[in-house]
Amino acid sequence: MKDLLIVEDDPEMQEFYRDMLKGEQFSVTYASDGEEGLKEMKGKKYDLVILDILMENITGDRLFALLRKDKHYKEVPVIMASSLDKQTYQCFQALGKVSFLEKPFTKEMLITEINKYL
Amino acid sequence: MFTYNKDTFLNINKIIFSSLDIREVYQTMSNELSKIIDFDRLTITLITEDNNLYEAFVVQSKTREDTYIKEGDLYPMKDSLMEKVVQSRKPVIVDDTAKSQFATDVFLFKEGIRSRLGFPLVYKGCIMKHQKLFHIDEKKYPIEFKERIIGSINFGSRQKRHYSKKHVDFVSKIAPQLAMAIENTRLFNRIKDAEEKYRNVVESSPDIIFECTSDGKFFLINPSVEKILGYSVHYFYDAGGSILSLCHTDDQGQVLREILQLLHGEKDSLMDFEFRVVHKKGNIVWLSLEAIPIKQDNKIIGIEGFCRDITDRKKLDELKNSLIRDVTHELKTPVAKMEMAIDMYRRSFAIESESTGEKELHLYNLLQNNVSRLKNIIRNVLDISRLESGVERLNISDFTFVELVDQVIHELNPIAIQKGNTITHQIPATIILKADREKMYYLLVNLVGNAIKFTSHGRIDISFMITPYGFEVSVKDTGKGLDDEAIKHAFDKFYKETPSIPGSGIGLAISKNIVELHNGCIWAESGGKGKGAKFTFRFPTCHLMKQAT
Repeated sequence: MKDLLIVEDDPEMQEFYRDMLKGEQFSVTYASDGEEGLKEMKGKKYDLVILDILMENITGDRLFALLRKDKHYKEVPVIMASSLDKQTYQCFQALGKVSFLEKPFTKEMLITEINKYL
Repeated sequence: MFTYNKDTFLNINKIIFSSLDIREVYQTMSNELSKIIDFDRLTITLITEDNNLYEAFVVQSKTREDTYIKEGDLYPMKDSLMEKVVQSRKPVIVDDTAKSQFATDVFLFKEGIRSRLGFPLVYKGCIMKHQKLFHIDEKKYPIEFKERIIGSINFGSRQKRHYSKKHVDFVSKIAPQLAMAIENTRLFNRIKDAEEKYRNVVESSPDIIFECTSDGKFFLINPSVEKILGYSVHYFYDAGGSILSLCHTDDQGQVLREILQLLHGEKDSLMDFEFRVVHKKGNIVWLSLEAIPIKQDNKIIGIEGFCRDITDRKKLDELKNSLIRDVTHELKTPVAKMEMAIDMYRRSFAIESESTGEKELHLYNLLQNNVSRLKNIIRNVLDISRLESGVERLNISDFTFVELVDQVIHELNPIAIQKGNTITHQIPATIILKADREKMYYLLVNLVGNAIKFTSHGRIDISFMITPYGFEVSVKDTGKGLDDEAIKHAFDKFYKETPSIPGSGIGLAISKNIVELHNGCIWAESGGKGKGAKFTFRFPTCHLMKQAT
């Protein structure tokens, strides 16, 4: 079973993820902010990371930049999920294996995005 | 006393051409002159351009220090000795000022001067038909040889009947040279003034003004560069082609590309090209560059232009951007979660399945419609704030216009068909635009969407026209039409002719902003209520890339 890490500081959003990923064949771990996400990734190598962008402590884009510098996470696919426009984060495309999911999204949109990589 | 001395005469000629400061020349010349010609008073007067006044160019009086005529002052020509000299172009002798032949005689008489000799100064030289100070091309600017009277040299004596033909003969030998020297001085001073003016403009400009060769050697750069970038002008003059390394590493490639395009003639000019430079102290400075190539014999030999420091504007833009970003997030997040909750609700309670009650379905639809309406309003409000804050920049690219129009029609056709409307267009497939495609898409979706909204069982037509002022795109419908009041306010924010019709009322205000970002204009026309409407926007020709054949 593939391991997913979702870094999302909004408990309600976490609830949507839980609902949408219920019954899917992934093992999902939740981190409630950037720092916790970073700690989680240091202890284990996940197959895919979903990042919220605007978070306290470490923002998603900052976290993403850190991941790409880490040898274990250089190639790990990342999905950035935010209510910001996709083009705001277009510049990250160059860092590879990253896609953008604009909130709100449906279960189908989320699954399609995950299946692109797993 | 009058003695003709050849040496003195040659000396005078030498003096005349020894310096471009005519007053300095005059001092030495008058000393020499006094050796051979008797005078108590000597003046050189010059005619002003309108011929009504004359200027006392130099005045020297042996009789008194305080003379009636003062250097640098202007006097009326009328009834003066000067007037007579100018009109007759011949020397004029006044034997006795007591007779008051000329208005000026009265004043000179009071100063003790009894006789006068006025001699015309005629300039025999070339006069440019088109006066251009630098780089004179004789083929373009024919030179004309012409005689022109520029003023007079005037002698005064305390004795009556002092001046005679002998004096006239002598003065006639030095007058042409004197005239030429004066005219050369005036021309030199004009060039000097023009040069000084030009230099002042360049040196006092807050922007960096520069000229450099195609291999990057600066031959002009003004002191502003030191204020803006911390490096002295000498740094630039000495640096040769290595100036590119001052640019921010991320921008160097783009700067080089843009400059090369200019040097290779692929672009006529650079406008508002923004890039970063690293200040001597290490901080980032944002510059906006405008430049054009320098041409010589149709060959590009360098570039010239100016750079404006836009660092403060960039910081403000960044601040505005982050504010807009935060507000966007705050407004969009709850709506996004509502939408997701509605979707979750639909899946959890199997809404839209056969078992759903009518009331449940109605409430569900009501929630969904209003959330989606709220979402649109928020998006529009954010769009207009971004446009109005001035942080929004055009993302220009070349695209085939008809493809964009087809895309818009394809997306809006289902709603148009629902209302019994047909959408047509007459866009030539050859039209390629140079504009912000995404914003043009919004613009067309808004105009065509509006046309659909206000038209039932009618036609909507999109047309394209090239005019002398640019190109025009019109969206014409056969719908409800607009009255004069609605035409006047159509592009106002939150203006809605019919408040009950859903919409934020800012779509056209956004459209207007988009058009204006492209330096264009937009307007509405209608034959009145029930007679359809036509919305047209015009972009300047620079946004029309080409018309492929």
